[in-house]
Amino acid sequence: MPRYLVEREFPEGIAIPPGLPGVEACREIVDTNAAEGVTWVHSYVSEDRRKTFCVYDAETPEAIRKTAARNGLPVEQITQVRVLDPYFYR
Amino acid sequence: MATVLDVSPGLLERSEQLEELAVHLNDVVERRAGRVVLVSGEAGIGKTALLRSFCDGAARARILWGACDPVFTPRPLGPLLDVAEASGGELESLVREGAVPHDVALALMRELGDARATVLVLEDVHWADGATLDVLRVVARRLAGTRVLVLASYRDTELGSRHPLRVVLGQLGDTARNRIRLDPLSASAVARLASGHHADADALYRVSGGNPFFVTEALAAGDERIPPTVRDAVMARAARLRPDAQSLLEVVAVVPPQAELWLLESLAGAAFPAINECLDAGMLTRTNGAVGFRHELARLAVEESVAPDRELALHRAALRALQSPPSGHIDLARIAYHAEAAGDASAVVRFATQAAVRAAALGAHREAAAQYERALRFRDVLEPEERADLFDRCAVECYLVDRNAEAIEALEHALAYHRVAGDRLREGATLTRLADYLWCPGRTADADRASHEAIELLETLPPGPELAWAYAVAAQHSAAAALPDDASRWAKRALDLATELGELEICAFAQQTLGSLVPGADGERQMLQSLELARRHGLREQIGRVLAHLSGIAADAPSLEKARVYLDEGGRHCADHGLDLYGFYLRAAEARLELALGNWELATEAADAILRLERASIRPRIDALVVLGLVRARRGDPGVVEVLDEARTLAERTGELWWVGPAASAVAEAAWLAGDTARVAAATETALGLAVSRGSSWFVGQLCDWRRRAGLTDQPPVEPAAPFAALAAGDWRTAAEHWRSVARPYETALALADADEEDALRESLDELNRLGARAAAAIVAQRLRGLGARVPRGPRSTTRDNPAGLTQREVDVLTLLAQGLRNAEIAERLFVSERTVHHHVSSILRKLGVQSRGQAAAHAQRLGI
Repeated sequence: MPRYLVEREFPEGIAIPPGLPGVEACREIVDTNAAEGVTWVHSYVSEDRRKTFCVYDAETPEAIRKTAARNGLPVEQITQVRVLDPYFYR
Repeated sequence: MATVLDVSPGLLERSEQLEELAVHLNDVVERRAGRVVLVSGEAGIGKTALLRSFCDGAARARILWGACDPVFTPRPLGPLLDVAEASGGELESLVREGAVPHDVALALMRELGDARATVLVLEDVHWADGATLDVLRVVARRLAGTRVLVLASYRDTELGSRHPLRVVLGQLGDTARNRIRLDPLSASAVARLASGHHADADALYRVSGGNPFFVTEALAAGDERIPPTVRDAVMARAARLRPDAQSLLEVVAVVPPQAELWLLESLAGAAFPAINECLDAGMLTRTNGAVGFRHELARLAVEESVAPDRELALHRAALRALQSPPSGHIDLARIAYHAEAAGDASAVVRFATQAAVRAAALGAHREAAAQYERALRFRDVLEPEERADLFDRCAVECYLVDRNAEAIEALEHALAYHRVAGDRLREGATLTRLADYLWCPGRTADADRASHEAIELLETLPPGPELAWAYAVAAQHSAAAALPDDASRWAKRALDLATELGELEICAFAQQTLGSLVPGADGERQMLQSLELARRHGLREQIGRVLAHLSGIAADAPSLEKARVYLDEGGRHCADHGLDLYGFYLRAAEARLELALGNWELATEAADAILRLERASIRPRIDALVVLGLVRARRGDPGVVEVLDEARTLAERTGELWWVGPAASAVAEAAWLAGDTARVAAATETALGLAVSRGSSWFVGQLCDWRRRAGLTDQPPVEPAAPFAALAAGDWRTAAEHWRSVARPYETALALADADEEDALRESLDELNRLGARAAAAIVAQRLRGLGARVPRGPRSTTRDNPAGLTQREVDVLTLLAQGLRNAEIAERLFVSERTVHHHVSSILRKLGVQSRGQAAAHAQRLGI
């Protein structure tokens, strides 16, 4: 399954509420993704919280956009990527 | 003496599933929310046991039960025959006489749909014949509002990617999203079953993997040693019976799916009384005057063990006996099966052919093809004309189930035999059919050759329907190749001859082709006349074909309301009547329409549905690839090159402008958007040449437009179509107006992008951002900065502007829906038709991934609408 890097921009800064509401929100996202065979691997967030780089496994970029829309998440750019690991070349 | 062993699992670890079924039944009864629930799992997992247990407990409901035959060529409508026998009446006579699936489905709905709650069980639908699957499709879409619960079980482990059931599961619709999957038993459950027996519970769990059937068979065999396979378990159990009883088991094993008592008596002879021992030992069960194995796995195990000479003798005896059953109802498919196993060539040919004809009439085309193939395996006993006839018929059935390569091969055999037999008329007819089938996967040159050979040949004979058909096919192919003069000539000849001969279907076909050559309202009127003719005479296939054609034309226009009407009607008609091929073309039209209108999510969904099906018909696939590639290129998403490269390769194979043009244009656009203008020239060279040779101002215009953006100047001998000519002359305003008037937002924005005025460029940028066309938006933003205008570099898509991918219109509708307004009221508020609102609501539900208006309203709140 291809891996994608999804860039998102949050003008007001992304905020995931602490505690149970935050856990709930993440779980909902994961469930919505699962319905389309999309897996959220993990994300990197900028210091000002305005930009995220999210690593996803999915069949197609369209599946990522569909689940993003259902989850209310913006999508700026999708790039297909492969892992390049410095230790691989020892 | 075998002892009675009560080894039924008493349904361990199934209470959750039973409860789920009970909830479904309750819903169905209380809320009239009829539905399909699919129960899946591996062989021997206990699907039948679960369903039986549930039905036994469902006191309030009427239970109807049908099971699919575990044979390669099942009886068409087999399970429905079981149901019909129980219900009697109209349904029974329809199924016996052999009606088409659509009519059977409607009769079934009438039978099911009285006030009482009904549970209809269809077992093992992975073995279902084509007609039964068609009935299931029609029924599934009519369950809402009824008190009918359909429970369909199947082995999910046996569904390869091209299995007919897999395709049908995707088409059943909203009422069939309920799935229950059965898992193997846990180690503790196996231990519970094993308590009181000598077997080692751990070993039993390991070997059986928790498969309930394996477990019960192994325990019933009574040995301490666990048999290594299911087969060994079954045979160990059988070995405990007396010789007579074992002999009887062999008889039952050789006559799938079950042995009627009269048949068993006839075949078993002196061993017949041993049936009681088999029943007592639990190896056979009784249902309705027949006996069978408890499970297909057991039957297979015993069948494999029968000595070859005994097997042959039994098949011969069965073949004889089944030809004169006491009920008088001859089961052709079953007889054909035994005839082949008995090696009786003339019996095979006779009965398999009859079985095929019947299956075809019932719409079970996969089974019909298989029966013809069976007959053909014994063709040595036939004369050349008879062989040719079988190959012709086999080809038609293969084509109908998308086995295109086999169909073509069969026709080539048929041709050879027609020539040997010297039958020129049939040779001509077969050549025409061959031309048709070759056209489907894009072998255009081969198709043309066959087509012309057919016409040449048939014109030497007295004119008849074969010649009219040959003209009609030639007309269609010429139209697809963008040769309207040729097409018109052929179509007129076809229409004249067909009218003279009273061949209505060919008339409708030819009229439709003629209409498609005339642009605008006049052409549409002619095509609607063809539709009217088809309707009046019940020509189901032609109706599907015209609607698909009309949709395709309207999608290009695009004429929104019209396109939706044709797509809706066509979609429903094709689904109801199992016209998968035309349904396929319809989806392609839908994909193109949504792309043009800027509904890119719907466009990619339709494209994806087409690409996943992997059918032989190449043209819808090309359309889908072009749509998908363009959306990705416009959004700046990955996966553009491989998709558009395939589109171009396939289009070049057809050599037809209607596909070569769009594919080349898409490649050019993708290159321009990626800033790779050097590639545009190579991508469009051949296509432009073809467009010029066909005198197509549309494609000349479109292709030259991309070349102009890449810095090339052409002086084509053909005048480009209006919007492109305007743009080339620098009149972006006129071009934009044109695109706006035909509701094409992306093309409008691109025309405005040629402007040198800030306002127009800003309008373009706004529209491109709204569509999510990031690549073009970046280009326009650059141009704006070149004019010295300020363009913020911030995020271009926000969820506020584009919540859940809804269009502005859809947001409007959703806002009103969330306030509790009904469709009629929303239509009034927004000054559109109720039908349009209905479409928007469907689209909203789909995009939000919800099933009801209530859920949509809740979702709307969450999104802040």
